[in-house]
Amino acid sequence: MSSRRAPRGEYIETDTGNKVARKATLVGTQNIMLGGKTVIQPEVMIRGDLIRTAQAPSQAAAGAAPNNTAVSIGRYCFLSRGCCLRPPGRPYKGAFTFMPLRIGDHVFVGASTVVQAATIGSHVHIGSKVVVGEFAIIKDYVRILDGTIVPPHMVIPSFSIVAGQPARLIGEVPEGGIDAFELRDLYKTVGNNPHPAPV
Amino acid sequence: MAALTPYTFIQCPCSDSSTLGRPSDANPAANATNDDDEEADEDNRTFDPRAPRSNFSLYPLEYLLYCEDCHQIRCPRCVSEEIASYYCPSCLFEVPSSNLKSEGNRCTRNCFQCPICIGPLAVTSVETKPDPSLLAAPDNAAAPHSGPYALTCSYCHWTSTEAGLKFDRPNNIHAQLTKLRNGGLTRLTARERRERRKDPAYRAHLAAAAAVAVAAASEDVDDVEERGRGPGIEEKESLDVETQFANLKSFYQAQLANPNSSDTGLTGLGDLGFSSPTSLSRIMSIYTGGSLRDKKAKSRVGAMREALDADEGFQPARLDESAAIAALQAHGFDGTSSTAQLAEQPVNIGEPAFPHGQAHFASDLRPVPHLLRTKRSKRCPVCRHIISKPEAKVQTTRFRIRLVAGSYIPSIAIRPLALSPIPNTSSSFSSTSAPIPTSTSASASGPAIPGALLEPLRPAHFVLTFKNPIFESVKITLGAPAHTPGRFSSKVTVLCPEFQIDANTDVWDEALKEGLATTGGGAASGERDPRERRRRRGGTEDGSQSGINPTTQLEVGKIWERGRNWVSIVVEVVPPSLSTLPSGGGDSGLPLQEDEDVLEIPLFVRVEWEAEMGGDEVGSVMPGVGGSKEKGEGREKRELAYWCVLGLGRIRR
Amino acid sequence: MSKRHSLHPGSSSNTAAPPKPPVHLSSSLTIADSTLLAGTHTISLHGETVIHPRARIESHLGRVSVGRKCIVHERAVLGAAPVSSSSAAAAVVRRGGGGDGASGGDGAPAGVTLADYVTVEVAAVIEAGETVVGEGTVVGVGSRVGAGAVIGKHCTLTPHSEIAAGEVVPDSTVVYANGMRRTDKRGVAELKNKTMARQIDMLRRMIPSNPAKFA
Repeated sequence: MSSRRAPRGEYIETDTGNKVARKATLVGTQNIMLGGKTVIQPEVMIRGDLIRTAQAPSQAAAGAAPNNTAVSIGRYCFLSRGCCLRPPGRPYKGAFTFMPLRIGDHVFVGASTVVQAATIGSHVHIGSKVVVGEFAIIKDYVRILDGTIVPPHMVIPSFSIVAGQPARLIGEVPEGGIDAFELRDLYKTVGNNPHPAPV
Repeated sequence: MAALTPYTFIQCPCSDSSTLGRPSDANPAANATNDDDEEADEDNRTFDPRAPRSNFSLYPLEYLLYCEDCHQIRCPRCVSEEIASYYCPSCLFEVPSSNLKSEGNRCTRNCFQCPICIGPLAVTSVETKPDPSLLAAPDNAAAPHSGPYALTCSYCHWTSTEAGLKFDRPNNIHAQLTKLRNGGLTRLTARERRERRKDPAYRAHLAAAAAVAVAAASEDVDDVEERGRGPGIEEKESLDVETQFANLKSFYQAQLANPNSSDTGLTGLGDLGFSSPTSLSRIMSIYTGGSLRDKKAKSRVGAMREALDADEGFQPARLDESAAIAALQAHGFDGTSSTAQLAEQPVNIGEPAFPHGQAHFASDLRPVPHLLRTKRSKRCPVCRHIISKPEAKVQTTRFRIRLVAGSYIPSIAIRPLALSPIPNTSSSFSSTSAPIPTSTSASASGPAIPGALLEPLRPAHFVLTFKNPIFESVKITLGAPAHTPGRFSSKVTVLCPEFQIDANTDVWDEALKEGLATTGGGAASGERDPRERRRRRGGTEDGSQSGINPTTQLEVGKIWERGRNWVSIVVEVVPPSLSTLPSGGGDSGLPLQEDEDVLEIPLFVRVEWEAEMGGDEVGSVMPGVGGSKEKGEGREKRELAYWCVLGLGRIRR
Repeated sequence: MSKRHSLHPGSSSNTAAPPKPPVHLSSSLTIADSTLLAGTHTISLHGETVIHPRARIESHLGRVSVGRKCIVHERAVLGAAPVSSSSAAAAVVRRGGGGDGASGGDGAPAGVTLADYVTVEVAAVIEAGETVVGEGTVVGVGSRVGAGAVIGKHCTLTPHSEIAAGEVVPDSTVVYANGMRRTDKRGVAELKNKTMARQIDMLRRMIPSNPAKFA
């Protein structure tokens, strides 16, 4: 990033359409996989340096090359200002290891939210000031309301609406509410030359 | 005061038969703007969003379904649901419906919720050196295989060892738990209990225990000694709820079959007492689903005796509460279990020492197996067609059928309109009557930011954007009462109550246009797409209006803005003053009720369009809704009408 | 130290880098490069403690002492200025202000003291003012510990818990579900410490440490 370009945009836009704010903190970028068209707003922090050190037995047996991906994010995800993604860690066979954090497509992460889940599916809306505990598994089409604390190891099935401390099921996503998880339009509204939100 | 985001709720016609059968206008074209007759008609039928019943019929658009055969909106309250599959929300395993009957509606794997905080419980191994406090427990000797595993809450750090529950194996916890009583004692099934009773060794042990009469030190303390009873009295077993029910059931069945055993009982009550076989069989049929009703028993007369011992389901009431009082003194209020925690406790795996498995103390609470969840398909209540059907597999999120209202009826988005304030707004401010908006200008300022409070007695404007989801152009006719119902009545003027929305074009059209827009820039794409150029502001072309502020131009009968498949119109409201001083009105002296400051306007929406005639749909059009049906070239006129409620904002107090 | 401070009155200005606070760093410390240390009083970080990137340690109001084998996660703030207007916090601040004039030696007020095996999770805030966090305690994600609070040993503050200024939390307390309290009866303190030691072993290899930057 040369400083000669006079009015630098707020975002770095990659070939695959990712929009990464210059003021975002991405630690260990080589271990962070972005699927494309993902927005990372300023002050977002992603801990790619916390990689897995103990390999899964299946992988070790197969002799596969160690996969160092710490955080993988799908397409059309939106990481709001100040949120933090970090891989979950736990003791494993006498040592401590981190496990990768996998996020699907069309996942919205609200402002100041901390995510330490194992897996987040696709079409998930996580509100602001939410804490997703370590090794939580969130399936597709889940809405987590603002201020929710998802306890570690919790599994949230598809079409759930959860809230509270600790999180509890408070409703189901209605059939007609499925399209609202789509983040294509939101993607266009941010960046260096944002488009207004369509009607 | 929390900011209020504008909302639109739509009334499902299922709640009100009068709207269902609402006669449609014979000639919609004559339904001109600001028709007085129409207004009067609407006033008579105005829907009151504050009526207590309205709570049950208003839904956001996403929650509504649409029956394609009835051409009508269906809400979660009126559809009939059918369960497609049961699954555990924690392990996401599907539970066959055959298992439900035998094993209940809870997960029988290792999925448990914390009884304290409902967080998920994980199986953790208790260290080889157990808790010293548990070692000291007197019943430690009773469980030689002290389980090396416990359930632990990852959130509040509750552990099942607090209730004295430890497990030998890390798997099949549910089965282990059903056999485990608080404190690590074994809980017997009814069958095991019966078998044990036949065992002479056990009988000898019972006798010995009765002689010693020391309950706490007993080896196999399934049978807790009743305090205050002498050693000579027959040993009374404490039964858990299920066993007691089973014993009682078999006892009464035996009694029904053999009515001659009239040795005791409340004979004086005759047919009404509990000893009467008729009432007994009636009660039993209530609890056991009628399968036990013995037709022959009806004819028999004769009293029956009551259960006498534990075998027959007899349980003396536990009246000795000294232990509970002592525990309450020791642990205080914090040590008791809350109502919510008790409600979560399932009865069938509860601690048998408590009636109905309900523990009084938090330390007695047991892990709660996850309740199963369901995937459900939905049927139209009228024509019984399926209008929503998910795939039965738990892990898939697809739907086979999903007829949501959002793809049939226009969505309504609300946004406050900030008008530049015209000087000399004092006239409109002082007068209680709203200035009739004319073609010249509107002298008002709306709230600029969404969620801002509305000023009383000052006209505010809102842009309603109707977006058409169907592939036909539709004609919309709006009707709103001039004054909102309720104690504080707002004046409402829909500036353009009748308009046409263009059809929703193909998805590919949209995608192509977006591609052009992103590559060619805004101006170029505008030229390529003539439709975009039809976007108008106040009836004039966009280009000419760009210099001046277009927002001062509010014209009656003109749409505000128009796009590919959407139209925006303006609604003017004059909120009332929320002063509760008695001003001659009947009940205006009452203080302001909750949410009475929310400005809600009822709006009647009629959508008309021409659609391809479906072969089987000819006869199924509802009489009140799709009344005007014209056959011609395979197209028919369709009409849908419904009430909706627009929540615009809160009025400043 | 106070002399250097007086030379740079605008220490919090954005012109130059603020003066480095006096630090006492253990040789076995792991401190990420992007950690932020600020303030005027001594910051002591003891052996085998791990400070994640973007953690902030401020000693404006008093000494900050972090015990052995602690983990301070990213965006955690130790020694933040109290936000509460309660009298206890105000008194502490006054005390802190009085101590500012003295030399940054032993006479300085204690800002924050973390015992050994303390975990301060992501974005948790511990306010300054003789705040003490006991051994083996976990301060959950986004929690806030008020000035002058004393938290016992082996406590758990679940995410977004709030401990009021000056509050004393007994040992093994679990603060959960919006302020509910209960006692942790697991008795796994040793096991937890062992796990934490393993985690620190791992993190020391993972996080590039740069104590020289702060010395």
